[in-house]
Amino acid sequence: MTTPGAKLKKRTLMVTHSSRALNGSISGLHQVNHSSRHTGSNVSRKGLSMAGDSRSTIQTPRQTVRVLNENGTDVTPQPISHPEPGAKHNRVYLDEFSGPSDILSMLYQPTTAASLTVPFSRSVFCSSKISRSSLSTIESVNEERVDTFYKQDNYPASYVQVEREEVKEQVTEDMLNEVVNIYLTETETITHLDMPGISVSVDADDAEAIKERNNRYAELCKNRMGNDKYMDRSMQAFIGASKSKQVQCDSIVMVDTACEATTWDMYDSFYGAEQDKTELTAEPEKSGYSESIVNSSRGPEKTTSLLSTTSIATSASSSQREIETGMCSDDAADPRLILQSEKFQKVLLVMERCILANIFQPKLAAYRQLPIVEDCDSVVTPETMEHREEDVERSLSPTLESLWVFSCELTKGRTISCMAWNKKNPDLLAVGYGEFDFRDQTPGLVCCWSLKNPTWPERVYHCNTGVTSLDFSAKHPYRLAVGMTDGTIAIYYVYSQDKTCAVSSSKCSKKHYSSTWQVKWAEQDMGLSGDDKEEALMSISADGRISKWFLHDDLDCVELMRLKRMQEEKDEMETEVKDKKKKGEILRSLNAGFCFDFHPVDSSIYLAGSIDGTIYKCSSSNSQQFLETYSQHFGPVTRIKWCPFNPNVFLSCSLDWTIKLWIQDQLTPLLCLTSTQKQVHDIMWSPKWATVFGAINEGQMKIWNLDYSTLDPVIVHMAAPGVKMTSLLFALQTDCVLVGDNSGQVTVYQIKNFTVGEGNQVDTLESIISSAVARL
Amino acid sequence: MTATLHFRSGKKRQFRFSWQQRDALNRRRNNPTIPKMASEVEETLKRIEGQRGVVGTVVCNADGIPIRSSLDGVATAQYARLLRKLTVMAKSAVRDIDPQNDLTFLRLRSQKCEIMVGLENEFLVIVIQNLHQ
Repeated sequence: MTTPGAKLKKRTLMVTHSSRALNGSISGLHQVNHSSRHTGSNVSRKGLSMAGDSRSTIQTPRQTVRVLNENGTDVTPQPISHPEPGAKHNRVYLDEFSGPSDILSMLYQPTTAASLTVPFSRSVFCSSKISRSSLSTIESVNEERVDTFYKQDNYPASYVQVEREEVKEQVTEDMLNEVVNIYLTETETITHLDMPGISVSVDADDAEAIKERNNRYAELCKNRMGNDKYMDRSMQAFIGASKSKQVQCDSIVMVDTACEATTWDMYDSFYGAEQDKTELTAEPEKSGYSESIVNSSRGPEKTTSLLSTTSIATSASSSQREIETGMCSDDAADPRLILQSEKFQKVLLVMERCILANIFQPKLAAYRQLPIVEDCDSVVTPETMEHREEDVERSLSPTLESLWVFSCELTKGRTISCMAWNKKNPDLLAVGYGEFDFRDQTPGLVCCWSLKNPTWPERVYHCNTGVTSLDFSAKHPYRLAVGMTDGTIAIYYVYSQDKTCAVSSSKCSKKHYSSTWQVKWAEQDMGLSGDDKEEALMSISADGRISKWFLHDDLDCVELMRLKRMQEEKDEMETEVKDKKKKGEILRSLNAGFCFDFHPVDSSIYLAGSIDGTIYKCSSSNSQQFLETYSQHFGPVTRIKWCPFNPNVFLSCSLDWTIKLWIQDQLTPLLCLTSTQKQVHDIMWSPKWATVFGAINEGQMKIWNLDYSTLDPVIVHMAAPGVKMTSLLFALQTDCVLVGDNSGQVTVYQIKNFTVGEGNQVDTLESIISSAVARL
Repeated sequence: MTATLHFRSGKKRQFRFSWQQRDALNRRRNNPTIPKMASEVEETLKRIEGQRGVVGTVVCNADGIPIRSSLDGVATAQYARLLRKLTVMAKSAVRDIDPQNDLTFLRLRSQKCEIMVGLENEFLVIVIQNLHQ
């Protein structure tokens, strides 16, 4: 501390603190300057702010000692702990320095004094150059900056925030969002501890030598006792003075992570990403969910914050974000999306069927001929006990027990005109609703009911006019042919929910111009060989024509037969004989056809019933002449049915109150059955027994067994008062029968206590027929 | 009382308690400007609710928040919460056995009633039916 010139080199102490006490150690020559300097620096320091954005905050005074050696490098011993975390927010002004490269290098590398030599040296030089008078601001600024560097030197890099004065927030945002390349490199292997093992394998090369040494040592140990060569002696070792040292580190942040590795979780992680890609493309609107699916497929790690006990539940793949207390609300469209989705409809369908299965379970079990098991949980009251006793006491005569009713609001008040089972799915029933009265022009309805849901039809088709007949196709079970009172024939495709009719015959030029009374799918030989069979739709209508329809793009028909009146044929013959000239184009009115049926074996032969009671037997290959004509009925023939078991026998019923049993070759019926003086609307052979058939009068349903009696039906079931029965259908695989009436209800009855005998009674029928033939 | 959750990816979500969510849903539901679900679905749901013995129906989304319910608030929340846990466990069990399989329907029959749960990835349909009169 001698000359001012030496001040530069020998400057060992520079205090940046406002305390004057240290000034005393410096030579008195500079004391005033120091103090002034320091005062000035203090003032300016106060003006400059180190923490925070504004420059007006007062710096907390800190006590730092800097030691510079001859060259001006800073060799101050650095303290171990820095109890001032507030300084981490120090900002460095980049203006004075060479550029961000310095700063960045400072940030990312472990701080060494060497890296800071440049600024320090610069500042030192600056400070040395500046004259005393102008020391005040610049030097202090440099001091400040240097100090901050010096301070920041010892902090971990993350505490330093680099920012430019002008642009403050933007930089941080940008820096946060920009892609930072982090290069991970591997250091050399640092061996902290190496404890080589002391055991050697027996197979090692130097095992022998080691064994030798071991033996020698053992001998040595043995000889040690009492041996003069060895002497015990104690020694004292230095015990170093222990010193406790404190180390402070950052608080260790603990995070709980749980990981679930169930089988499905792993499966989802492997295959879920692929599947979800396709899902994402297919359903772009469900963006919220798909995002989280992708999240979950990235890795099995999910933070289960609260539920530790039910850990399986919390990381299910179906729920992506498991936050128990607060639910993340997505946009409001999601509930609506759910409610409008197809999946929701399907689930509701299944749910409805489940509920109805619960309600109708005993009835359906009876239908399927399963034993009805009583519900053990049901509460048994004394009233139910009485009912059960009454049931047991009832007579064991054959009866019909009502199981359930197919009806809904849509069908209330409508007359059921026809019913048909689906050929492939025996649980599917199509019912046509339409009035028989021509004057009643209410629009008709076709409902497809499923046994699984008796309260609402699966499909509902509204038609322009009343429906008179239905038939499901056998080859394409989804096709439903519908005949209507205005002569139109329509084919509906039942598999889709689309309500529009598939094809209609309204555009066909040769369509029926009067009511189509019956439609039927039948297989017809198309080619010359017998193998080529195609299914075609046949229809008979009140305009007296039987047409065969083809379905290409639209329905087109070919006339199979015209039902000419018998009298007119005779007239024709007479006129032909009498006067050939007069034979001209006489418009003959045709016999309105009511019903027809195709032979079960040879489908080219069919019977057609007409309005004047005549039954024509025709062949589809001959469209000019009838094979046979049976005219024993006095009223319109409402139904003709071939017997499914005996190909020669058929039944016909008509509005003249009679049911007649015929044999193919004979022109007079074998049997004529009448029980009441009411019009018979419908008959059907039982699919199970050859001698059993059912018939419907207006108010009664009768089941006949020819074996039992040909005079009286076995079962007579009265309809509810005011209700007329209109349609009959036997269930195909069970002993149930369906009856449709004019109030829109289809009631399913089970035939009880009906003993017929073994087998399907074909032989019995044969015998009855032969005996009847013999009687004629 | 609301708070906003800021995610690292930049998304912001409103933090809501379950009762707030329910209120918001009710407000949305009663708001006439919001279109209702398809009429067919509405009809089917009404039919289900009108079937014999059905106590109520609850439709909730994948997180277990009820979207639509015919029961009162307390019962709805209870059913949704409890059945969601159960269905998640059941689904986990089914998929553990065969990961390609998935749970579609769950029926719980008890002495007094039957609880039926129809499942999909996005929602849950719960129907409670009393078995005996």
